[in-house]
Amino acid sequence: MTNSIGEISRASLLLVVGSNTTENHTVISGKIIEAVRNGAELIIIDPRKIQLSQISSMHLRNKPGTDVALLCAMMKLIIDEKLHDENFIGERTEGFEELKASLGNCTSAWASEVSGIPVSEIEKAARLFAGAENASIIYCLGATEHVSGTDIVRTLANLSMLTGNVGKPSSGVNPLRGQNNVQGACDMGALPNSLPGYVNVSDDEGRKEFEDLWGIKIPESPGLTVPEMIEQALAGRMHFMFIMGENTVLSEPNSQKVIEALKNIEFLVVEDIMKTDTTDLADIAIPAACWAEKEGTFTSTERRVQHVGKAVEPPGDAKSDLEILVRLAGIAGAEGFDFKNSREVFSEITKVVPAYAGINYERIGTKGIQWPCSSPEHEGTVFLHEKKFTRGKGRFQPVKYRPPAEVPDNEFPYVLMTGRNAFQYHTGTMTRNSPSLEREAMYPYVEINPSDAQKESVKGGDMVTISTRRGQIRLRARVTDAVCEGQIFIPFHYREAPANILTSEELDPEVKIPELKVCAAKIKRGQSRGVRSCNNTFLNSF
Amino acid sequence: MSVKEEAKNLLGKGMDGVLFYQMKDGSAIPHLFTSKDIDEMPDVREIPDSERYPLSDILSKLLMRFSSAKFGIVARGCDERAIIELEKHQQIDTSRVSLIGFACSPELAKICSCSKPYTESLADEMNEAQEISRGIESVERMSTPARLGFWLSNFSVCVKCMGCRNICPLCFCKECSLQDEDLVESGVLPPSIPTFHLLRAIDMAGRCVMCGLCEEACPAGIPLRTLYGKVSEIVREELGYVPGTRGVKSPLEELGSSVGSDDDLKS
Repeated sequence: MTNSIGEISRASLLLVVGSNTTENHTVISGKIIEAVRNGAELIIIDPRKIQLSQISSMHLRNKPGTDVALLCAMMKLIIDEKLHDENFIGERTEGFEELKASLGNCTSAWASEVSGIPVSEIEKAARLFAGAENASIIYCLGATEHVSGTDIVRTLANLSMLTGNVGKPSSGVNPLRGQNNVQGACDMGALPNSLPGYVNVSDDEGRKEFEDLWGIKIPESPGLTVPEMIEQALAGRMHFMFIMGENTVLSEPNSQKVIEALKNIEFLVVEDIMKTDTTDLADIAIPAACWAEKEGTFTSTERRVQHVGKAVEPPGDAKSDLEILVRLAGIAGAEGFDFKNSREVFSEITKVVPAYAGINYERIGTKGIQWPCSSPEHEGTVFLHEKKFTRGKGRFQPVKYRPPAEVPDNEFPYVLMTGRNAFQYHTGTMTRNSPSLEREAMYPYVEINPSDAQKESVKGGDMVTISTRRGQIRLRARVTDAVCEGQIFIPFHYREAPANILTSEELDPEVKIPELKVCAAKIKRGQSRGVRSCNNTFLNSF
Repeated sequence: MSVKEEAKNLLGKGMDGVLFYQMKDGSAIPHLFTSKDIDEMPDVREIPDSERYPLSDILSKLLMRFSSAKFGIVARGCDERAIIELEKHQQIDTSRVSLIGFACSPELAKICSCSKPYTESLADEMNEAQEISRGIESVERMSTPARLGFWLSNFSVCVKCMGCRNICPLCFCKECSLQDEDLVESGVLPPSIPTFHLLRAIDMAGRCVMCGLCEEACPAGIPLRTLYGKVSEIVREELGYVPGTRGVKSPLEELGSSVGSDDDLKS
């Protein structure tokens, strides 16, 4: 996030793109609600009706995978009507003319055709956004899990810079992280192309510093992303794999292929706090300690480095991630891993990651501290890019709309979207062991629009078979207008009906994120089970 | 005398432990002090206002688990009221409890809209209790459609985290009506409107001791003090009952215990 969570409630406009915030980031949703109560406009771009739709000023329910078209048309209108922030563009950015030229054909009429949103709505949203004192963008995987995932992020950054909505309070571009420490893991270089502190492995100077520090040679070409590893494993070129805390079998697209790939690895080690479908495939499964059983730091979505203390001892043979890594490194004969505790690791972090340089355990305290924090005197950073961008001037990056890779046809007439619900988390390895959460959402289900349900002769609670070019699953139908006609939604939490059997492994060409939010599917009715449908009818009557 | 000295006295008189907070990594965490670590008990002023827990609920569980033990508790006014109310529901045996009272800071009392931010033992030293609004008047000034809209919009942002129920010192039922499938459909957000919130409000009538922990716990910012304050007001005005005061049980509880007995049904 370029902003902080606390700033959200003071924004005058919030644009929420591809985020079911209430179900997936509940605390942040609370801040959005607070902002709306303080008078903020809320614009949602999402094909599905979400809980925030009830309090939004506008909800643009566009066709899945068409965000770029919608946003480009909004930008074109902003420029055409001279609503852009000329001062900000002049002082802080470059490449405006290229952006303007790239938007030439992105008329509202064209975007309306592509996205299914009326011209008037697109224009209204554009004017609202451009007119806001402090506009903040919040986005999540609904925006990025597309073949055009990188482009949508660029487009959102373009829109923010175009209207001068970055580098000031409550104005910026804010991705919501899916796990408590994704931010921290990325900061530490847990990416195939980066060393700690986002130093690119192909940056000779940056790489050399780490080589000198660690006394080893670092490969200068990036490693593999997960989808690439799966491909390599399938081709028999992956001899060893160590999976830490991921249930890859259920979380990656095209599960059957993933299982085949993992089985094809000579030696597979999986570390997890629970037994999962992935630990089942492992040659060795290592039991890990959970968050309350270990000590260290997590860096949250707002760049806040927080301390987590050990509340209880790990059960049985479970060990902390640190202890597991240190011991594995020792066995493998690697040097430089003789850390006695997380504090020692943190001390090294402050030496190699400039954004963490001024942070220490004492300063983290109970409230945490937000990077960048360059020195012991630096108070931490509430929002980024105040005076200048990391690279100096912010560069507009023109983007061309590309449609999703697999669109519906006669055989597979529905767009399948996947995601989460409020009561389960990810592949359910943790939440499905909680009786109170499980009772809320025990069964896998597919959301179907009422008119499609009628067309397919499906009633709420019926068992249906959903199939795509990759496979099929059987689950219950939930008939609801939360999804538009022609679209269906399946949460991917359930091993008994794994949504990722169905999903497409088409990747964004740049960062290799799979297009989990769009693929073509068909519905076939099974036998009836007579379970009632889920509709909040009281609310609809007002 | 500091609470630590009072707690030491209690331990000297045969109490097995004294429940209060310990400070750990800068945070207040409920802790049962015994003669081994009583010297580490912090002063009441060291406990941050924003870090409160339902100590009465923890006390109730301790008493059930250690059936012959006696415990002391360093309590705020709302903790004491909850203990009194829990005893009426047979959830706490106060003959095994000794209470050391303290007063909340004026700032916290204001945040909590609390009319009695101290225990009874301190009542004589304190200023006259003030009537506190809890936002009820401003809601009642709204027109009926506006008021309905106010509550519906508040209920529509509920995320069913169950924080209000889980933190409530008076929510001790083994089977919870909020999890009755016929009343509140599972797996749906927002939870059934208005049933979910009205069920809880009805349960709070004649029980709520106005600790405000529910409103503090709510991630959606639903004004629960106002809602439960209103049902409490009705019970006070119509039935003359104020939860957390010594003496009679809530008339609503009397209904359940005598009229509903098997003997009455037979006769």
